[in-house]
Amino acid sequence: MGITPDRFQQGLSYEAWKAQMTRNRERFEENERDAPLTEQDLAAFRALPRPLHVMVLAEDWCGDVVANLPLLGRIAGETRKLDLRVFLRDQNLDLMDQYLNEGTYRSIPVFAFFDDEFREIAVFIERPRSVTELRDRKRREIYASDAGFGSPADPIDALPEDVRQRLHDALVKMRTETKSFADREVVRQLRELVTRAPAGRG
Amino acid sequence: MVKVAISYCAECGYEPQTLALADSLMRTFGSKLSAIELIPWFDGTFEVSVDGELVHSMRRDGGFADPDAVSLAVRERLAAKASA
Repeated sequence: MGITPDRFQQGLSYEAWKAQMTRNRERFEENERDAPLTEQDLAAFRALPRPLHVMVLAEDWCGDVVANLPLLGRIAGETRKLDLRVFLRDQNLDLMDQYLNEGTYRSIPVFAFFDDEFREIAVFIERPRSVTELRDRKRREIYASDAGFGSPADPIDALPEDVRQRLHDALVKMRTETKSFADREVVRQLRELVTRAPAGRG
Repeated sequence: MVKVAISYCAECGYEPQTLALADSLMRTFGSKLSAIELIPWFDGTFEVSVDGELVHSMRRDGGFADPDAVSLAVRERLAAKASA
């Protein structure tokens, strides 16, 4: 598992990644601007004894990338302790297939943290489990609140247009209401990953 | 005839994958399809149903639909209707 120093340097810088985005850049930068970072969060990263290399696998069409990579980018920019290189997933499947979610899915983003000798010390994939669980529970509650919505497992096209609109509005509201929790959970998990890892200890 | 519906996350920019799949189905099945419905949705959705049966879901199966797998589902549905 991992990446060689030469291959790592072939990745895009964070700024180059943003420059090549063909969609969702406005939302991406809004998420970067609004990242809910506390001084304690930033202090934890600044306390790293040495900067970490972070290999990022991403694509600009992915909602979890647009939500979570800006948080990592903002931490890197504020602390100068994370050296990010971004690789487009679909052009780097050899890297992607080292980090399959549950050993099966090519979920992104992947943030793989390496020490200065490129030993892997921690990996973040897609989003925290707590976020998935909360949103799954909220989604089930929404479906249960209106018999017209059917089941979450039913295809969207089976719903009449007016019902589809109601469901859309309810899901958008839920996502908006859970965003701050999700952002905080991502930051918390990133902080835990780097500070618990051997190279993160001073 | 068989109807295929593709629900895709519009805010994620899944239009290229949606149109590529629709194009593949049009070229493969022509007038054997009664309709190809494209539904702009959100929340990272990419779902394909054939006559109302969900044959691919990004949430359930991960990733985009494999056009060959969708074509197989359409063929099976057409064959089932022909033999009914």
